[in-house]
Amino acid sequence: MSRQMGDSHRRFLQTMMASGIIDESGAKALHQHCCETHSTQYAPDRLDDFIDTINSKLQPMFMQIRKGMSEDNGHQHYALVNMVENDVTRMSSDYADNELELFKKTMDLIVGSEDGKASSTDILNSTDSMTTKKLKKSEIENLLNRLVQDKWLSEKRGKYTLSTRCIIEMEPYIRAMYQDQVKVCHICHAIAFQCQICENPTCGIKIHNPCVARYFKGRTEPRCPACEDFWPHEIPEVRRPRSQSRR
Amino acid sequence: TSQVQRGLQKVTEAQVEQKTAEVVQYFLVKEQRKVPVRRADLVKHVLKEHRNIYPEILKRAARTLDQVFGLKLVEIDPKNHLYVLINNLETSEGAPPINSSTDPKRGLLFVILSVIFMKGGVVRENVIWNLLKKLRVDPGEKHEDFGDVKKVVTDEFVRQRYLEFVRIPHTEPVEHELRWGQRAEKEVSKSKILDVMGQLHDRDPQSWSQQYREAHSSQNSTQQPGSSSQR
Amino acid sequence: GKEKATQLFSDGAAFDPTAFTEHLLSIMGINRLEDAEDEQQNGGAVDGYLPQDAWHRVARRAECCFKAAPSFHYMFGSFHAEPPPPKQRIE
Ligand SMILES: [Zn+2]
Ligand SMILES: [Zn+2]
Repeated sequence: MSRQMGDSHRRFLQTMMASGIIDESGAKALHQHCCETHSTQYAPDRLDDFIDTINSKLQPMFMQIRKGMSEDNGHQHYALVNMVENDVTRMSSDYADNELELFKKTMDLIVGSEDGKASSTDILNSTDSMTTKKLKKSEIENLLNRLVQDKWLSEKRGKYTLSTRCIIEMEPYIRAMYQDQVKVCHICHAIAFQCQICENPTCGIKIHNPCVARYFKGRTEPRCPACEDFWPHEIPEVRRPRSQSRR
Repeated sequence: TSQVQRGLQKVTEAQVEQKTAEVVQYFLVKEQRKVPVRRADLVKHVLKEHRNIYPEILKRAARTLDQVFGLKLVEIDPKNHLYVLINNLETSEGAPPINSSTDPKRGLLFVILSVIFMKGGVVRENVIWNLLKKLRVDPGEKHEDFGDVKKVVTDEFVRQRYLEFVRIPHTEPVEHELRWGQRAEKEVSKSKILDVMGQLHDRDPQSWSQQYREAHSSQNSTQQPGSSSQR
Repeated sequence: GKEKATQLFSDGAAFDPTAFTEHLLSIMGINRLEDAEDEQQNGGAVDGYLPQDAWHRVARRAECCFKAAPSFHYMFGSFHAEPPPPKQRIE
């Protein structure tokens, strides 16, 4: 099934290049916009087919539009990702070598932490062991801002987490590099950072906050889906995606 | 070409495809900073041992860029063999539902290119610096969006080939003049600039007769609608 | 300046940079100070306050003139894959 790409697909891909990541309702609206702009037939329920067509042509370049969930609100997102590391991909000019080393150290901190977060102080301290040119404090602050702006990290009250875009693109890398530290969500099986943990010491499964909300919705006495112990955490509300009718 | 044919016989189809993919990646990576790709660098850093089949691989990469990404591979400098990517797709009429971030430097570049074009193709640097000052951009000060403005204009835009910044001979103190660079000639539409000028000044673009002729005669005016869908 | 610009039509030199900057400032969303008298006394230097996104507004207006290729940005593949150093924390 080698469906051909048209200008509507190309426009969708170009917008993905410019944005990096979009949420599901954004993707739906963009799908419609691209089809209408190029007067091609628009089938609202065929977004994933539409994206598959693009992906089949992106595959030789080891690129992909990949779907994943936001740990924050549980909404589906689409990110344009790179899937290969080689001499050419390492020529990317967005970040200098020492900036990338600091990003990697930040990732080490976040993945190695209990709560999937790293404080700016921890990140500043981690530069002591840098092998590339050391960054000044102000440079680090600028870099962290840029990483947030470029949607690789998220920040809340001085604590940094991996963004949805980062998790979607880096998931295979994180699974491979942090094998013994990373845990997956018991419900959706994706890697989990922002989550609740079963307090039974022999169990200890993780569930994303939005997955908790969906799983326990309407249950009177929440019990762990693995060990059946009482689930002692506060159950968050399910967050509805914003409506699509905006313009 | 017979050399290319012979070269192709020595490599597998998979190898050719892999090199093509790497060349496409290379063009995309270089476009992050809008620095043109030098053919010599492409051969040295990417093609390496496959340099003998270079024409075939470049042809395939151009096809992929066109058919998958909607981008055109353009040689802007045939003497030095410099390449850039240009968008085949027109800016859509209706606003796209995704508000992707805009680059303020694009605004700065637009202002400079417009002035050069409206002034007949070349201006002295002082014309630009004075105009920017009125827009609260002082080349002597660090600007919030642009940092060192002088560097952005005379170095970054020049390296990207949006602008040419050339010394005027026999001037004391040294003076420079600015022209459109080779990338701008391919990437920026003079007729669209003139349209925007018309809208801003509430005036018929045709009333700038000289600029109008220039905008609609140069190869720059790629006004073939739907050209990107002719595949 | 506006009238001067319209007088000189159909001549290559008819472009008036002063009028152009005025139009640009209004695209940028300039917020003029109420007291126009002061400006005159400052040797015609126009005062006023530009919003933070002033140049973004110009960029958005200019978008249609550029056939710029969007660029691809990624994190995976931009550095050497390497497992983290063994954890030193006492568990
Ligand atoms: Zn989950
Ligand atoms: Zn349990």
